[in-house]
Amino acid sequence: MKRWSLFSIINYSLLALFAFCTLYPFIYVLAYSLSDGKEAVRHTIYFFPKGFTFENYIQIFKDTKFLQAYKITILRTVIGTGLHVLLCAMFAYALTKKNLPGRSLFTFFIFIPTLFSGGLIPQFILYRELGLNNTFWVYILPFLYNFFNIIIMRTFFQQLPNSLEESAKIDGCGDFQIFLRIILPLSGPVLATIGLFEGVFHWNDWFTGTYFVNNQALLPVQTLLNELLTQSQALANAAQNAMQSGGTTTAAMSTTTVTPESLRMATLMVATVPILCVYPFLQRFFVKGVMIGSVKG
Amino acid sequence: MAQLSEINISAQPNKSPNKRAEIKKKSLWVRIWEHKIFYLFLLPGIIWFIIFAYIPMYGVTIAFKDFNFAEGIIGSDWVGFKYFKQFFDYYQSWDIIRNTLVISLLKLVFGFPMPIILALLINEVRARVFKRAVQTISYLPHFISWVVVVTLMDRLLTPYGGPINGLIHALGFNEIAFMGNIKTFYPLVILSDIWKSVGWNTIIYLAAIAGIDPQLYEAAKMDGAGRFRQMWHVTLPSIKGVMVILFILATGSIMKAGFEQLLLLNTPATNAIGNVLDVYQVHAGLEQGRFSYAAAVGLFQGLIALILVVTANRISKKVNETSLW
Repeated sequence: MKRWSLFSIINYSLLALFAFCTLYPFIYVLAYSLSDGKEAVRHTIYFFPKGFTFENYIQIFKDTKFLQAYKITILRTVIGTGLHVLLCAMFAYALTKKNLPGRSLFTFFIFIPTLFSGGLIPQFILYRELGLNNTFWVYILPFLYNFFNIIIMRTFFQQLPNSLEESAKIDGCGDFQIFLRIILPLSGPVLATIGLFEGVFHWNDWFTGTYFVNNQALLPVQTLLNELLTQSQALANAAQNAMQSGGTTTAAMSTTTVTPESLRMATLMVATVPILCVYPFLQRFFVKGVMIGSVKG
Repeated sequence: MAQLSEINISAQPNKSPNKRAEIKKKSLWVRIWEHKIFYLFLLPGIIWFIIFAYIPMYGVTIAFKDFNFAEGIIGSDWVGFKYFKQFFDYYQSWDIIRNTLVISLLKLVFGFPMPIILALLINEVRARVFKRAVQTISYLPHFISWVVVVTLMDRLLTPYGGPINGLIHALGFNEIAFMGNIKTFYPLVILSDIWKSVGWNTIIYLAAIAGIDPQLYEAAKMDGAGRFRQMWHVTLPSIKGVMVILFILATGSIMKAGFEQLLLLNTPATNAIGNVLDVYQVHAGLEQGRFSYAAAVGLFQGLIALILVVTANRISKKVNETSLW
């Protein structure tokens, strides 16, 4: 048996500390969201819930505003990601055809916007002129294509053996059939990677909802969380002022089992958990995707 | 680097001279007709890039116009550099530029070495399960939105029953209001940025480290180098190329101090040191409706960024013989 060297002990401790710092915020929020709201105000929570209850989760799943927002988030993630993956894959596949006249021109055409982008304001004006603002489509249409994702897919498709396509052609398969029946089924890893990247983007995007949408029924969960954050910051300011003038804090006066804060923590968990459940299983794939993207980008 | 370069090579199209000659024989129109289905594949993309990428590029001209929605981008009157002048005459404009640079530079100085250090530490781990667990956990914050991160910070750091302040109190110190505090603003910005990105940024370094020839380590061991000196004399020099490229990319985004993060973290109390170009554009453009003015600020920012990345690339080419293009 090899003894643990000092180097190893320090190294393992540092990494364990790092992992703890990364995970702790989520442990804390989980504990808070499972606590009785009133108890959570009265005691400081560190690792374990105080007055264990599912009430916070029951409450938010009864809240129509939250449910509507969750529906919007799921819808835009599914539709936005599905369309993005399919359209980018079609574009990327066409770019793998070596004899396609104008192939490099098309690549150049989609590369240029990565160097010069119009920026936020022209984008906003465009959405308005197209009538996208305040519609569900503002979550979908602007994000249908992405240069880097197309390049990652193209690189993957190029690695597939050519003989498969050729034998399918001999069997009388058309180009579209080849793409649908041979290329896509063989491209699981890259489709999963791009699907994950795009899905996470859609799931997490709060900016579009906050600045391009006014209709309350169209807001996604992340925008809702942002509203709660702004309210909490305002509340903290008010509390600070109240403390300075000798009053009690608003939080401390709360008497119900659920508080805005405990509901917020439950909302945060529900908004985060789906991602946490998905990404570890795709790790193998996305690590490779990042490398291709960095080499070609 | 082996994995990286392998991908690179296989990505190159096969150009056998025979095939080329054969293709040349067919006329262009025949070839285009043969590929008609693929043009159909490309068509929606071409339309999309024209609408969502090229039209906004033209839309930048509103920085030189008096834009209003009634007359549109083309119809609005040209005003030259009026809005650029207005920005530089604004009494806070230099503060905003300075804040942008200070925050980016602080992030670069403290944030850039972090993934390298983490990758080196992870690379030294021999226990597979532990290594994999640390890596998986380290990627987690990358998948979380900034809204969630700032909400986490807001909750963890609050003086009203937050665990950090609970600990501070238990140790006998006074509670600190971290959020919206001008004294703790920069540390919070930098630490949260590192927390969110460090694990994800190790991916490329770990791939580069995995590609190092094991014989180099053997040779170093023969010469009596311990693990720390192997790290210093073998691992670090071997990933220098990757470091340089990532550094160039980082300098290119120095005019972007972290848009979403600062939009969420900056409050009126910290505005004097937290207002940056990106955030200012949102406030001036989207919230106050000063479109031409905000577009001018954005164009100024983009121009400096382009100059910076080109310069950094040129310097790196001379010094290191490594460059992006």
